[in-house]
Amino acid sequence: MNTDEHGLGTEEAGGPANERGTSRRGFLRTSAVLASGMAALAASLAPLRELTDCTTVERFLQKHYKEMTPEEMNKVLERIAREVEKQYAVRPQVKDYKPMDGVEFVYCLNLTRCIGCRKCVHACVAENNQSRNPEIQYIRVLKMPHGSLDMEKGDHYYAPESVPEKGFFYLPVQCQQCKNPPCVKVCPVKATWQEPDGITVIDYDWCIGCRYCEAACPYFARRFNWTRPSIPKERLNPNMSYLGNRPRRQGVMEKCHFCVQRTRQGRYPACLEVCPAGARKFGNVLDPDSEVAYILKNKRVFIQLKEELGTSPRFFYYFDV
Amino acid sequence: MSLQTKTRNYLVFLWRCLRIAFVGDWRYYTWMGALSCVILLGINAYAKQFVHGLIVTGMSDQVSWGVYIANFTFIVGVAAAAAMLVIPVYIYNNKELHDLVIFGELLAVAAILMCLAFVTVDLGRPDRFWHLIPGIGQFNFPGSMLSWDVIVLNGYLLLNLHICGYLLYCRYIGKPPATWFYIPFVFIAIVWAVSIHTVTAFLYVGLGGRPFWNSSIVGPRFLASAFTAGPALIILALQIIRRVTDYRIGDKALLTLRSIVQVSMLINVFLLANEIFKEFYTRTSHVASSKYLLFGLHGHHALVPWIWTAIAFNFISMGLLVLPLSKSLRYLNLACVLAIVGIWIEKGMGLVVPGFIPTPLGEMVEYSPSLNETLVCLGIWAFGILAYTVFLRMSIPILQGRLAQANEAEPRPSRGILVRALQEPQPNR
Amino acid sequence: MIRAVNVQPHSTKVLTLVTLAFLGLAAAFYLDLWGHPALDRAIPLVDTNFISTATARMSVADLMRSGGDISSLDCYGCHEKNKPLKLKLDAEGNVVVPKEHDDIVMGHGRHNRNNNCFNCHDETNLELLQTRDGRHLKIEESPALCGSCHGPTYRDWEAGVHGRTSGYWKRSLGPIERKVCTSCHNPHSPPFPPRQPAPRPHLLHPPAEVAAKDN
Repeated sequence: MNTDEHGLGTEEAGGPANERGTSRRGFLRTSAVLASGMAALAASLAPLRELTDCTTVERFLQKHYKEMTPEEMNKVLERIAREVEKQYAVRPQVKDYKPMDGVEFVYCLNLTRCIGCRKCVHACVAENNQSRNPEIQYIRVLKMPHGSLDMEKGDHYYAPESVPEKGFFYLPVQCQQCKNPPCVKVCPVKATWQEPDGITVIDYDWCIGCRYCEAACPYFARRFNWTRPSIPKERLNPNMSYLGNRPRRQGVMEKCHFCVQRTRQGRYPACLEVCPAGARKFGNVLDPDSEVAYILKNKRVFIQLKEELGTSPRFFYYFDV
Repeated sequence: MSLQTKTRNYLVFLWRCLRIAFVGDWRYYTWMGALSCVILLGINAYAKQFVHGLIVTGMSDQVSWGVYIANFTFIVGVAAAAAMLVIPVYIYNNKELHDLVIFGELLAVAAILMCLAFVTVDLGRPDRFWHLIPGIGQFNFPGSMLSWDVIVLNGYLLLNLHICGYLLYCRYIGKPPATWFYIPFVFIAIVWAVSIHTVTAFLYVGLGGRPFWNSSIVGPRFLASAFTAGPALIILALQIIRRVTDYRIGDKALLTLRSIVQVSMLINVFLLANEIFKEFYTRTSHVASSKYLLFGLHGHHALVPWIWTAIAFNFISMGLLVLPLSKSLRYLNLACVLAIVGIWIEKGMGLVVPGFIPTPLGEMVEYSPSLNETLVCLGIWAFGILAYTVFLRMSIPILQGRLAQANEAEPRPSRGILVRALQEPQPNR
Repeated sequence: MIRAVNVQPHSTKVLTLVTLAFLGLAAAFYLDLWGHPALDRAIPLVDTNFISTATARMSVADLMRSGGDISSLDCYGCHEKNKPLKLKLDAEGNVVVPKEHDDIVMGHGRHNRNNNCFNCHDETNLELLQTRDGRHLKIEESPALCGSCHGPTYRDWEAGVHGRTSGYWKRSLGPIERKVCTSCHNPHSPPFPPRQPAPRPHLLHPPAEVAAKDN
């Protein structure tokens, strides 16, 4: 096999052809390939024409929540309010609520009372401006057969005529705000962390969307924005907070945050407010007069889901009868 | 020599390397043309993903990692396996393989570039990449295994770029390389290669909520399968180099690599047997993911044909490798191809996806990659192969002495873009 | 001596093909021929009933506060004062609800144990309730009546743990709203009535038959 100067095979080891002719042909040939290649490259980026939510310089350089000064935070809150107004034609109130001292939140859920109506799921969606399409729901209610906590036996998609159904109990699961959260451990950019009042929060503007936290969570509590969230204008909740229910963007994580915009003002979370059976109890476990302190003192059997994983959840399930 | 001259020389070297990548015969143009087309398809698919978000893939909240991370996991193993060439050469002083180390390390560079690409396309907000930079962003080191992965992968890339770049440049300028400037890095690279794959394994192992992954055997399995698939790929790559160029590669090199693949495959299959015993003998509820993978669960069985194909391929490959039959290149190549495909399935789809099925709340949602996702993956694979081709295109003439500083000083013509250097008589090898 | 590129016809053919391929791809990309994700799945908005904080029913107090129809609560609009009332019993000894009160379905306690009107209502004064230990309570004080038998539940209710407590967990920042027993439980048939659940969750990538059912 004839090899040329570069050690590659050739079929013709002919001598140099007409110098002028071949080099012009070579030039044209090369230009054609390069030009068509550039054209194809440019055309391959054609979908970017549809890009609407472009990142601005301000957003790109925005600091981590913990690093922002109060002035910077105010500017950011103002910007978020403007963006929401532009998109939804509703002027929201966006604040940053700080945790209260001497507070550690705990949630107690009475499994005797839960009837599986899923009102908590939708109250949460309404309060926290979750995407309706595609659907994001922080709370998942499992229909479990009598006598077993084996999640594999649970049914997430029950849709009977009426609930509760005989022989089953209902287990609503949301972020357990663990004391030892695996999601916080694995986040490579510290976009999620645990606040002093026990709530595990996410800085939506810092998250890079790697979904490691979603893989790490043992409770299927975290949700990802697989595309631009869509919230109907008429159902937007305008009372927003930075770490809570302000509308999120495509490509970031979100999850239950114990309605931080309500609870840090001393109110109950939306899921509790809507429960028709009063199965949900929430409060400051450090306060001996709170309902949750009463429950933890007087009820006898508590279930912390997947306790053996060492996550130490702040969610206590119990039975009355 | 002044700094100015040295810089000029280096820049000329880079420029000549770049130029040579555009020159070749019709087979080269066909190959590069085809790869470029696939890359363009991948870029277009990624542009769609960038605009619409990751909803264009087949992933969901239930199965939140898919083929991107599966391919990433497999390719990290291939990158780590470059060390498998380094060990016999530098530790056991095997001169035969000396130049081949460069081919192995260039493969590692191409592989790491592919890994970085796969991770980037998997991010929901790649525009926030700077959040990962230590010192500027908020780098969760040492807590998050992903932060370890960022460090070790980039470190490995720099190590290999340095070693290859330095050795090739020394060959180009005709000077023997200074031992102190590359040997220590070679030894670091050996340890580092093991670490990149162990860290990647630890990404999975450290998750208590995923019992399918939370097992100490995952790390050793990763290494065993990496050191099977990686050298197998190198065996095939070396034969391709032998065929399309006139670079001489002895069969002895291939057989040395064969023994590496042989031992690693035996260990790989042994570890698989360990895992199957542990899962199916004890039969706790943690067995659900393994059951889903191997036998199907609750009516869902999409991965069953895949995993059994992979297991069959691995067994056949192991059989071939153990027999002296595989000393013949035809059977060796077959064993290599089977090993690579088998391990790609087992480590990629057979590790990542079952970890999510069933979900921690017991839900069964299956996953299959979408067209867009597949095009992006093919695009990145094509990019990696193209990068490796370009590296070889640059390095082989350097190693053969055809591209050297000695023949640099050719008067350049005023017209014509592509000019070949005058042919030097080939050194007899 | 300089040799220019020896342009081989094979290479030219190949590069021409490559050029054409690039141009073809460019056209295909520009025309956006494939890869349209199904983004426009219409998941219907949930009925607002499912996000209302209304309780299962309304107690007398709730009814009065909301300005509802309380005409049926005026006992002496029909009954005569100071006329003792007699209950009609059927063959098994169960109370027969008079047809004027046929909206009441008795279901308090198993095996008809508690289905005697005057276990709770005061037969001498129909506007009052009575406990078994002889206390006479107003309608608004009904929780004490329920609690006279349902002790542990009453104790939990007093602590705010049985039944919903809405408002402010931090009492110093705002009021709470407590419900009485009859806001949720029909006193004549207390077991919580079954209700229709809100719709099931929707998958991001539903299999074809599920997507068809949703739409």
